[in-house]
Amino acid sequence: MKKTSRLGKYWLYLPLIAMAIFYLIPLYVMLVTGFKSFAEVDLKTMWNLPSGIHFDNYIEAYSKLAPSLWNSFAMVIPAALLSSALGSLNGFILAKWKFRGADAIFPFILFGMFIPYQSILIPLVQFMNAVGIKGLPGLALAHIIYGIPITTLTFRNYYASLPQELLEAAKIDGADMLKIYRYILLPLSAPSFVVVLIWQFTSAWNDFLFAVVLTGNKQWPITVALNNMAGSQIIAWNVQMAGSLLAALPPLLIYIFLGRYFLRGLLAGSLKG
Amino acid sequence: MLPTITRQGRLIPWLYLAPALVIMLIFVVFPVFNTISLSLKDKTSTRSAEVSCVAGEPCWGKLENYRYALTNPEMTQALRNNARWLILMVPGTVIVGLLFALLADRVPYESLAKSIIFMPMAISFVGAGVIWRFVYHIESGGGEQIGLLNALLVRLGASPVAFLSNPAINNYALMVVGVWLWAGFCMTVLSAAIKGLPSEVLEAARVDGTNEWQLFWRIMLPMIAPTLLVVTTTMVINVLKIFDIVFVMTGGNFGTEVIANRMFKLIVTDTGRSMAIAVLLIVLTIPLVLFNVYRFRLQEREE
Repeated sequence: MKKTSRLGKYWLYLPLIAMAIFYLIPLYVMLVTGFKSFAEVDLKTMWNLPSGIHFDNYIEAYSKLAPSLWNSFAMVIPAALLSSALGSLNGFILAKWKFRGADAIFPFILFGMFIPYQSILIPLVQFMNAVGIKGLPGLALAHIIYGIPITTLTFRNYYASLPQELLEAAKIDGADMLKIYRYILLPLSAPSFVVVLIWQFTSAWNDFLFAVVLTGNKQWPITVALNNMAGSQIIAWNVQMAGSLLAALPPLLIYIFLGRYFLRGLLAGSLKG
Repeated sequence: MLPTITRQGRLIPWLYLAPALVIMLIFVVFPVFNTISLSLKDKTSTRSAEVSCVAGEPCWGKLENYRYALTNPEMTQALRNNARWLILMVPGTVIVGLLFALLADRVPYESLAKSIIFMPMAISFVGAGVIWRFVYHIESGGGEQIGLLNALLVRLGASPVAFLSNPAINNYALMVVGVWLWAGFCMTVLSAAIKGLPSEVLEAARVDGTNEWQLFWRIMLPMIAPTLLVVTTTMVINVLKIFDIVFVMTGGNFGTEVIANRMFKLIVTDTGRSMAIAVLLIVLTIPLVLFNVYRFRLQEREE
């Protein structure tokens, strides 16, 4: 089926390899530089592997970033859980309960998904100040709220694809909507929960804009702390690289082990249902 | 068509949706109106924007902040740069993504190849910024070049290049980072669309002697056109609000300013102007959101 001439193969592999190199070199540099001692970061040994594995950089980077790593975990986990739960409930109602006005909600959902967050920052900060939610809880709240559109849409598309007979049977047995959700749809929701949780975890973990606006020094999540560490000229490159890897590790591990679910979340994010 | 469960009345579903709707009203709808009203005020958010007019110079009255957003040189530069980003990075990511999806589809180790391209999506913009700053780094003091590209250039006998501070090239250097970060997204979505094509159609065309080139242009491309459109509109929105890459790598200096970064810089020092820029950004996004809503409805009707 996939018969390709030798020349064809050449044209196939050449661009693929070129692109793979373009993609891998920065990652390779991050990995290798992070393990080098400072004296080794120079022209002659640029491409060499480190002379030994130097964990010093990681120890130094970790000592600087540790508090914000934990801040990130403390903020991202509840944010991912709650926005997923809310999304599931909303998605269920929108998918299985056709009612007048349901259609009018979609433009709002999409608008909430695509709105440039910069444009709601000031009112958001004012609101947080007014209700007295500050720092990490405020940041978590922001991620929950602005996560609702995408989680709702993902669950809605998933629930809409489930056979209607399931619900009809339960209805005949006299179950009300809440019971149908609790006993029939929720147990079937695990695949979507995985997708949405991973998606929300990574996007909240990697967010910078909300984080830099809503948190102060002691409560910085990892992205802000890394940016500030990198911004000071004194920090050597090898420590910066070690820091970048530390910051990227949780989402990278998720991606490596649960990548296919992550991709599904991405597809949902592009509205492909 | 969606099924109906209407027996429990019209009011109840709204009750269930109420929390989410209230949240959206407070955090999306209300802030937009708030932003619009702030955009008509001066930098202290207390007086009308008119007070910042200077006698003898052009003045748009209440809309003075919009005069800044549309005519000030700082802003026209940002608008021009955003236009450049749109013209180059949107096709850049879509074409690289499509090319990779097509090529990877035909080789063994497909998923490995795709994982590599997708990897940067898992890294934050900040982390990517740190890595790429090292790639582009120039040692200005006359010390040895240790930045990846400049070390390479020096070794090849060329002189080092200031990738991030030379206005002739720095915008393009940033766009390369953008493509590095986003092409994986386009690749994933397009690859799923290509895999979803009915194989009988492709086989039939191949049996009829259609070559791969024609197959792509005449059959595959028209069939994945809707997905291509989704990816393109999503990328247009992403590029319109491009912020993190610029903020982390150059801070918008050396002629790399973009709309969202300009807005962020002014958010504390001149709220009125900042909010006028925000409104501009929202206005630019709305047609794309409406287009997506329309497309989404169309797709629903087909199902």
